[in-house]
Amino acid sequence: MIPTGSRLLLGATLLATIAAIAYGISDGGSLGTTGLISAALALALLTAVNIITRDADVSSMDPSAPTESPAARPAPPASIWPIVGGLGGVLVVIGLVSYPVVFVFGLIALLAAIIEWMIEAWSERASADNRYNSGIRQRLAHPAEFPVLAALTAAVIIYSFSRIMLFLSKTGGPAAFGVLAALVLAAGFVIAFRPQVRNATVSAVAGIAVIGLVAGGVAAALAGERDIEPHHTMGDIAAEGHCDTAEEVEADERASQNVAAKANIHGEIVLHEDGTLVARSIGIAGESTSITITRSNATNIRFRNEAEEDRRLVLNLGERAAVDEETEATIPDETVPIQYCTALVEDGGSQLLTFSIPDSSTITGTAYSFTVPGVDGQAVEVVVP
Amino acid sequence: MKPSWKLVSRRRALAVPALVGLGIVVAGCAEDAPQDTWQPEGDNARDIQNLQWPVFAIAGAVLLIVIAAVGWSVFRYRDKGQPIPKQSHGRPSLEIGLTILPALILIGVAVPTLRTVMALAETDDTECVVNITGQQWWWEIEYPTQAGCGGITEPIITSGQLVIPTEMNVLMRGTSRDVIHSFWVPRINGKRDVVPGRIQTLRLEADRPGIYAGQCAEFCGLSHANMRMEIVALSPEDFEAWKADQLADYVSPEAGTQAADGEDVFLQQCARCHQVNGLIDDKNTPDPADDTPSIAHPEDQVYAGAAPNLTHLMSRNTFAGATWDLVTQQCRDTIWNASPEEFGALYLQGVTEECFNPVDLREWIRNAPEKKPMFADQTDLGPTGGLYRGMPALGLSEDQIDDVIAYLLELN
Repeated sequence: MIPTGSRLLLGATLLATIAAIAYGISDGGSLGTTGLISAALALALLTAVNIITRDADVSSMDPSAPTESPAARPAPPASIWPIVGGLGGVLVVIGLVSYPVVFVFGLIALLAAIIEWMIEAWSERASADNRYNSGIRQRLAHPAEFPVLAALTAAVIIYSFSRIMLFLSKTGGPAAFGVLAALVLAAGFVIAFRPQVRNATVSAVAGIAVIGLVAGGVAAALAGERDIEPHHTMGDIAAEGHCDTAEEVEADERASQNVAAKANIHGEIVLHEDGTLVARSIGIAGESTSITITRSNATNIRFRNEAEEDRRLVLNLGERAAVDEETEATIPDETVPIQYCTALVEDGGSQLLTFSIPDSSTITGTAYSFTVPGVDGQAVEVVVP
Repeated sequence: MKPSWKLVSRRRALAVPALVGLGIVVAGCAEDAPQDTWQPEGDNARDIQNLQWPVFAIAGAVLLIVIAAVGWSVFRYRDKGQPIPKQSHGRPSLEIGLTILPALILIGVAVPTLRTVMALAETDDTECVVNITGQQWWWEIEYPTQAGCGGITEPIITSGQLVIPTEMNVLMRGTSRDVIHSFWVPRINGKRDVVPGRIQTLRLEADRPGIYAGQCAEFCGLSHANMRMEIVALSPEDFEAWKADQLADYVSPEAGTQAADGEDVFLQQCARCHQVNGLIDDKNTPDPADDTPSIAHPEDQVYAGAAPNLTHLMSRNTFAGATWDLVTQQCRDTIWNASPEEFGALYLQGVTEECFNPVDLREWIRNAPEKKPMFADQTDLGPTGGLYRGMPALGLSEDQIDDVIAYLLELN
């Protein structure tokens, strides 16, 4: 017995065939006849398929199929990964001809989509129960998905913060973020003391805050960073011959400092209130007017200024021949001092000086010393064995 | 009747731990163990031993109790086919007791431990300061000018052997030029890591004259095992004599001798890295009358930026990180086994011609990297920017080596 749908198609096939014959005889036109014959052939093909598949009506062959066949299972929920994969593929192609970063993002999206899609496809075949399948997918994928999502979210928030902070002025930044921190604290108090506030409300506020932060970050990134004034380092002061001056020369006092330098010092050079300059060495009791430094070794010395005026510490390592900056040739009979120095240190302040002395003072016969410009008659001898 | 395979395999299984245990026990009986932590020769090392004995005893008692309890439980309740007994969970009194008891034991151990650690960190009562700098793979020792150590008016610099006066609290200030090393002479005190950019302190004190062996105790690269050191303790009088020797002026070899030829080779080849205080570089200057001192620049050649100062080299009796002897085995044994009364005089003789061991020094000068591994690949200096770790092979001829050795023998 021919199923209902197939009968309809069979009738349409016959009708198209008859119409083609009639049109061909009556009008003699080839175009219309060809079209009608094509329609008849297409309809005949569909008719054949429908007859073979019994109009895709499984119940006609198996009465229990509507409730028990695989097709009777509820369809799994729609998946986002095909579209992510497609987007990744497009980004990869665009990235190949534009910017490497686009390619990298595309590749990441593509790989993530492939992996997620594989897991999803595997889990959808696990059983006939979509909820169970979804559960095992989550159990497998969530340990990786949540940390990655959290890291991405944190990265976006941190990046937005950094863009906003770099956009705001040096004084405006702390003010703005002070206010923001106060608002976060206030919101925290409200949530803590008003537990009746609905979760949805809290989520909405947090969501709006994150969106605002990201939007601010994007806007700040587009507006660009504020003008950041480059600071001279203490090495620049020495190179420019300002070590011997007692005046302020703009310098970043932390330029030569790092964690290792702050971690430990070889000793201290102290300018006392009465103007005396003395050395203190780690492990050696008392103060001295000389200090022994190991040759060719990175050394940290802390300068402590107890005098009333701002002072800098200078390490004098003799002289070297002057060099013409343009020709880089040595200038005869002209020397320049070899010095290292700190920036100016205020009363009660301290600063580190990091250096390495390649030559022994005892062998070269060169007198090395620590001095403080503006303080006459005071020096700490530096002995380098 | 043949023993069953099961019995044989069980005997074999027992034989392995038995042999290992026997080996450990026998190793503990060694008499010639210069790095034995259980034989302190100074107050600081004795403090450590006085701490570790009771801790060892307590830990040993706990270990025996635990092993006995486990063994008894395993034997008493072994599977004999009996039914599984009634299972129970939790016994607060026992659990609280087993928490409080170890806590009390740990507190009991912590009190003397902290007291010892703090006593060993004390530096205020030290009477002599020595700066130690570790680098791959040797120790530089430097005595700064100071009122301590009986008074030092000019810095003294040496390597490998740290000479200290007996019955004097010496403060070691240690640092490193390249990677982390660890200074450890077990009979004198515990280990102290030396870290680039930091100054670490360690108290040293020796009861009686003698040589005390040590070893870098922090893995520091290819020749870590060849980075040794020795503390030489001299009586206060002998220490004064040693200081005077170290500060003695340089004497140039007599012209026309093999040693004078060796000085020329040294100036051309060795003085780029090795400093000899007082050596005049009149061979490589336009004016031979110029008294320009020879100044080594190891920082241009060596990754650590330093090479041992060879002034009075033959006053030491080891070289290359205290790994090889400058004296023959017989003389070495004589010095190491000398009585405290005789030791100082023997040590202060330095390396005499009769005691000189030319073999190791010759091999070292001929091809140092072959004797002491310093670079995994001698041809690849890329990782260090073209600088050597340790001494490279200089390619000297045998005649030049003879000349250099003759010269070094005069650095006494």
